[in-house]
Amino acid sequence: MEQKKDIRKLSSVLRSVSKPGRYTGGEFGEVIKEKSNVKARFAFCFPDTYEIGMSNLGMRILYGLLNEQPDIWCERAFTPWVDMEEKLREYNIPLTTLESGDPLGEFDIVGFSLQYELCYTNVLNMLSLANIPLRAADRGEGTPIIIGGGPCTYNPEPLSDFFDCFAIGEGEELIIEFTRLYIEMKESGEYTRASFLRRAAATVGGIYVPSLYEVSYNADGTIREYAPACGAIPPRVRRRVVSDLDAAYFPRRLVMPYIETVHDRIMLEIARGCIRGCRFCQSGMVCRPMRERSPELLCGQARALFEATGYDEISLSSLSVSDYTRLPELTGRLLDWTDEHMVSLSLPSLRVDSFSVELMEKAASVRTSALTFAPEAGTQRLRDVINKNVTEEDILRAAKAAFGFGKTSVKLYFMQGLPTETLEDLDGIAAVARAVVGEYYRSPGRPKGRRPTVTVSVSNFIPKPFTPFQWEAQDSPELLREKQEYLKYKLGDRNIRYQYHDVGTSHVEAVLARGDRRLSAALELACQKGFHFDAWDEHFDYGRWLEVFECAGIDPSFYANREYQPDEVLPWDIIDAGVTKKFLWRERERAYQGKTTLNCRQSCSGCGANRLATGLCRPCGGASETD
Amino acid sequence: MKLTEKNIRATVPRVVRIKFIKVGSLQYISHLDLQRTMARVLARTKIPVWYTEGFNPHIKLVFAVPLAVGVESICEFLDIRITGDISCEEIVERVNAGLTSELRVIEAYYPETRFSDIEAADYIYKIKTVGAGYELADRIKRFLTTPPVMVTRKTKSGERDVDIAQAISRLVVSYSKAEGGIEMTARLPAGSRLSINPALPLDALRSRGLALAGDITKESYSIMRVRLLFADGREFK
Ligand code: SF4
Repeated sequence: MEQKKDIRKLSSVLRSVSKPGRYTGGEFGEVIKEKSNVKARFAFCFPDTYEIGMSNLGMRILYGLLNEQPDIWCERAFTPWVDMEEKLREYNIPLTTLESGDPLGEFDIVGFSLQYELCYTNVLNMLSLANIPLRAADRGEGTPIIIGGGPCTYNPEPLSDFFDCFAIGEGEELIIEFTRLYIEMKESGEYTRASFLRRAAATVGGIYVPSLYEVSYNADGTIREYAPACGAIPPRVRRRVVSDLDAAYFPRRLVMPYIETVHDRIMLEIARGCIRGCRFCQSGMVCRPMRERSPELLCGQARALFEATGYDEISLSSLSVSDYTRLPELTGRLLDWTDEHMVSLSLPSLRVDSFSVELMEKAASVRTSALTFAPEAGTQRLRDVINKNVTEEDILRAAKAAFGFGKTSVKLYFMQGLPTETLEDLDGIAAVARAVVGEYYRSPGRPKGRRPTVTVSVSNFIPKPFTPFQWEAQDSPELLREKQEYLKYKLGDRNIRYQYHDVGTSHVEAVLARGDRRLSAALELACQKGFHFDAWDEHFDYGRWLEVFECAGIDPSFYANREYQPDEVLPWDIIDAGVTKKFLWRERERAYQGKTTLNCRQSCSGCGANRLATGLCRPCGGASETD
Repeated sequence: MKLTEKNIRATVPRVVRIKFIKVGSLQYISHLDLQRTMARVLARTKIPVWYTEGFNPHIKLVFAVPLAVGVESICEFLDIRITGDISCEEIVERVNAGLTSELRVIEAYYPETRFSDIEAADYIYKIKTVGAGYELADRIKRFLTTPPVMVTRKTKSGERDVDIAQAISRLVVSYSKAEGGIEMTARLPAGSRLSINPALPLDALRSRGLALAGDITKESYSIMRVRLLFADGREFK
């Protein structure tokens, strides 16, 4: 008999909360297995709502992959929304998975997908709701192994007291090896939490067990060193990569949510990594080198998923869709059948060039999901500093093309607080926005009597690990606010809508992004005080965060607003993400000289990512320098 | 082209009625979400459905009487328009391959009636509550059949008070010793003119303190829509 949960247990609670469909499971495509037939039960936890988690490509991949193994059962859990959390606490109901309805504490392995820093409080909250001890050191035999993966693991240190281990890098191969090792050791009777973690750290590439490294500090508060507990574990944990994307696992069926999710569509992962080297961008640096899937394979995957799901939209997913070498061929092949099946194609993050204009003309079904451009900085000088190879002409040409298609709104993304920024750069943001408005009024095809809407969205620069700007100080919150005021004044125009990010949020994000193990105390306190959904404006409270930092003896400016020193041991030095520190420093120096760096197809800049596997880096042909 | 039944059917969209159940987890899925789900199911099971013409073609679906969230049903109806040559049996088989045990098609047929003639629905309630017994069953029956029993009803145009004792046209209340709970069958208006949420009688019982007023982890209930009816009391099909 299959073990499907008994929903009646929860019925009264479900009737009293908003969107109960988040908690019921029972979707088409959900995987139910018989408990007695599986050797390892894996709870895949996404520390945000169901709607967001179910849209995550990584979750789709790992759920399918783990469940393809007959002896492993992977189930899902999400953060209950605040009304549901209140009920669970009120009636003492532990957090469960959707599939079996079993509490997380009964699983062998509980994995968290760590997508952004502000979800950390949700992670702790989920452990607390599941009655699993927060600190790894307090967990006894019989409690699940808690593992974290995803982008935040490039600096997992603030979470290191709460996790038994982290999976660094692309998870497809790693997670299977890890779970297999667990099963083997259970079966042979060798398993204890400690022996398993030690063996995993020593033998499964990409597994980082923080408790096996002793951290010591200097008098000034910076890190002195990371000392491995034994010689068998790597001094630095190297990121795992999948060399051949065409050979990588790809799910051919999906769990079909009943309620509307954020990306309710087929997502085709056309590539990983990026050839551009934007100096503020962590994803661009830690996913190097760029690897592509072939159009033949992608078309097959798209077809298979359409048949299995009935979705009427396909979106191409990668860091920079325009850089996919065979984009015309891929879109051409897809359009051959999508039109006929009433499926639309959407191309996010498209650089508007001649090809995409042609694409828009060719197919009405191509949805460029709102026209957005990301110049990131207002002047050519600063764009050169950040290595964003976009010129004002590019932007205006793109806007012109968009308006030519009868579009009236355009969205522009910028960042404020970037290294070397001056008032002129902020003025430049306003100048670009006005030039786009001007382009609209020059457009002959514009709808009569309609005004354009140019949305200018300005986020705050956050220095991120494994970027050339990882050493930079973030502007103080006061300065960032002042800059926002200035921009508000400069962008006063009825055709321009100015949006900006909350400064407090960016400050806390910077602290967590560059934090070390000592932040655990603050996170634990935040959890005790009931923090959750900090990525949601309505639940984020900057004042309370400052209180928590103070109580925990943490100075947020030490992490966010201090320039890290070139010879300093960084909290994330324990991870080897591919790009070398030497390369990042070189790029930082070029930034200060206002020198751009060619993209990987034009010339290899010796970033070091090709060391991760032989033959990995097609663009550089493996000729890159190492250090 | 020679006109045969087959090629006429292939060109003129033909209405097929699908009767399905929506139970268990599916009771928590809203009507809007159900519409989207069904459209997707028809697409993935390759039922040759008719798409509206125009800029944004979509599948046309017409449901009988929307079901409130938290209510199960074994008698939901959906009319779709079929363009190809496919038998009703095949439709059932194919659509079910894309559904789960909690959302499942029972039959498909060419309809001879109209949704607009539906007037009422029968609901079966199973209530596990403190003090369940023969006496409580009697008191519930008396209470719900003695007007006025006013409850507040939320509609699109705001809140309105309704006499639930008047609205219930048929009521059976009994105590089931085997299940240790109250079982109740009530007939309520359900149609395009007036629809009463079947949770309202329970609101009345709760506010009176007759049932379900205690600890929600110990008390529970389920509501199942079991049939739809014409004005004259005949079962809708
Ligand atoms: S090794 Fe060279 S080509 Fe490869 S990702 Fe690094 S810089 Fe780019």
